Amino acid sequence: MARPGNKIIQAKLVLLGDMGTGKTSLVLRFVKGQFFENQEPTIGAAFFTQILSLQEATVKFDIWDTAGQERYHSLAPMYYRGAAAAVVVFDIASKDTFIRAKKWVEELQRQGNSNLVMALVANKSDLEPSREVDTEEGEEFAQENGMFYIETSAKTAENINDLFYEIAQRLAKACPSKPSTMNLNNEVQHRRKLFCCFG
Amino acid sequence: MSLDSTSSTSADDSPDPASPESVESQLGSVALSEPVAELASAANQVARNGVGFATASEGGDDDEEDADMGGEEGPVGRAEEEVWADYGGVGGLAAAEEVGEGLGGGGVVWGRTNSELEVDEPASPSSSGYAGERGSSGASSGELEIGEVVEDEIQEPRSDGVDGVLDSQASWVPGKRHVDEDDASVSWRKRKKHFFILSHSGKPIYSRYGDEHKLAGFSATLQAIISFVENGGDRVKFVRAGKHQVVFLVKGPIYLVCISCTEEPYDSLRGQLELMYGQMILILTKSVNRCFEKNPKFDMTPLLGGTDVVFSALIHSFSCNPATFLHAYTCLPLALATRQAAVAILQDVADSGVLFAILMCKHKVVSLVGAQKASLHPDDMLLLANFVMSSESFRTSESFSPICLPRYNPMAFLYAYVHYFDVDTYLMLLTTSSDAFYHLKDCRMRIEMVLLKSNVLSEIQRSLLDGGMHVEDLPVDPLPRSSSLPSHLSQPKPPTDSPERFRETCDWIAGPAGLWHFIYRSVFLDQYVSSEFPAPISSPRQQKRLYRAYQKLYASMHEKGIGPHKTQFRRDENYVLLCWVTQDFELYAAFDPLADKALAIKTCNRVCQWVKDVENEIFLLGASPFSW
Repeated sequence: MARPGNKIIQAKLVLLGDMGTGKTSLVLRFVKGQFFENQEPTIGAAFFTQILSLQEATVKFDIWDTAGQERYHSLAPMYYRGAAAAVVVFDIASKDTFIRAKKWVEELQRQGNSNLVMALVANKSDLEPSREVDTEEGEEFAQENGMFYIETSAKTAENINDLFYEIAQRLAKACPSKPSTMNLNNEVQHRRKLFCCFG
Repeated sequence: MSLDSTSSTSADDSPDPASPESVESQLGSVALSEPVAELASAANQVARNGVGFATASEGGDDDEEDADMGGEEGPVGRAEEEVWADYGGVGGLAAAEEVGEGLGGGGVVWGRTNSELEVDEPASPSSSGYAGERGSSGASSGELEIGEVVEDEIQEPRSDGVDGVLDSQASWVPGKRHVDEDDASVSWRKRKKHFFILSHSGKPIYSRYGDEHKLAGFSATLQAIISFVENGGDRVKFVRAGKHQVVFLVKGPIYLVCISCTEEPYDSLRGQLELMYGQMILILTKSVNRCFEKNPKFDMTPLLGGTDVVFSALIHSFSCNPATFLHAYTCLPLALATRQAAVAILQDVADSGVLFAILMCKHKVVSLVGAQKASLHPDDMLLLANFVMSSESFRTSESFSPICLPRYNPMAFLYAYVHYFDVDTYLMLLTTSSDAFYHLKDCRMRIEMVLLKSNVLSEIQRSLLDGGMHVEDLPVDPLPRSSSLPSHLSQPKPPTDSPERFRETCDWIAGPAGLWHFIYRSVFLDQYVSSEFPAPISSPRQQKRLYRAYQKLYASMHEKGIGPHKTQFRRDENYVLLCWVTQDFELYAAFDPLADKALAIKTCNRVCQWVKDVENEIFLLGASPFSW
């Protein structure tokens, strides 16, 4: 895969978002080219790998597909710590998931990793008739927070590859010289809280 | 009257139950000896909420509450009857005040002993002592106008539900059913076995059938009953209402309730509720209690989002996995060398900081290793395997998920790395460290390499195909045992299709002396082995009935005050059941109902010998000690 002399970037990518927004479907479409109408909810987090070759670099993704259920929220830092890229997903047909996505973005920004490549993904674009979140609204929020915005459909595969190519490209740009050191060791002290609701 | 046995043990402060010659006389007898306002209002609410467990059809057959898909909407005709239970099963009616408003008044049996509410346990587990039978005989002796409606219900088409016919393991579809039902639905009320989890403020957390949110009123009623008794400094264990048994389990702010007319013993149902609670702890840890300290009205359902399948799979296993009542685990039969290879590599990994390394095939253990001094309770293993197997997500890719082992440490999460090697075989590596994923991933790759190299994975598949111990293979003559020893499990069986052999098997249908099935539980190993099911018990429904019979046997053998040695021989129209409990093992065996007693006993001895002969292959021996 890797072209000779081409640099290799090992990048940890985390998917965040409310349950049922299609995080697992996005990944399965990207990694395996599959789509299941009734994808079962993820438990904890599932791990995938995928390699993308660009002109300037080869990006090896370590993908953490996290569970959207509330009980896993407080465990999210365990998965997004040290990530080079974060994909925050919402469902265009559900305002609630957009609100939840905004909270994820805030949480990620509190972590203060300025190099983090962030994408705001409006998934289920095939559900246009029941859309609840306008494109402008999503774009505006993304822009304000230094993310890029893209509308995808894991079902029709629309924009799925574009999403990951865009991330790969940004990673390649952001990390011109050093290969395979996306601050994986730069780990913040892990929070011991079990649930967000426990205090 | 046949109901005497019921009422005789009921509470001392309950009025003498009138003979149920007519509904009127029953209703007349409802007066409480002590005024119990809250309880009455609870009962009142029961009535209003439509708590009527219509007489579920027994049909003389095993229940099929898993199988009753659809098919329920059949002839009904008593939607308006609010009955706690059928009129037949009666008892000292102590607390159902509001019968007048349509609560059929049949038989809420409340009893009260000094410190706990304990109601009407059958005096002996003899086969004629079950509530259901009393109920039906009562119905024939006493009454009444609903008789024919009951008949209608009995005839509802049950067994042709989805899994009634097919193989249980293969066809049981996980997940919650009948979400559209609530406590007003007749079909909901006819379910034979309900499970509820609710909070101490009465908020529904889980219900086996129907949408939890729609069952808020019903949950509140259950909560009212529990807290009424608790306010009196008592604890409610169960309530018997005709054929129905309502079993309560209070775990801090979490209440668990089972309402069942399956005639399972109280101890069994309580054990099942304990497992339900354990499953919840496995997902959330016990620190969920803190949420209730902060906010008593805390709604827990979002925290359990997406775990319906886990609970419904567990409930399903209550009737098809003996581990749920034996508190032991079972191993996949494997040649000693194969298992040793698997144990060795897991041991290697465990030494590198993994707390538990478990290789399983479906619900059977291939090998299992714990770090020094760490021991795994069989119930934890059951719950963990159920969690992993019922969550489709683990099959998609390797996962890293927080889980809690309730018997190991109910307060803390462990982290589980889960990976499926093939459709049936999966590896679980448990650790206390939340950032051990990459290490565990490396461990898995090492393990996978070794397993492939030593053919363990293909041996597992082969064992799965061959099955375990078949009663037909029980060595007839105890002497040439040693010569035939290696062949029992791993080699092709004697030609089953040869004519003589066929004639022979016709004689005893399955094993010698009419042996149909057995379960052998090793006390020291906390492991059991269960024989494969022969032709007479081939359908899931028959298997479930047998497990229920074993479960009943188990409960009766483990009642308090039991000596170290005990046997039980019991014959009914379905089986001869023989149970033998010693310090070292427990044997449960089922024979043809016509089996000869002396021969059956002899056969049990041979089974024990057979198990000892092949114990290297069917048990995991000499692994890290399992003491707790």
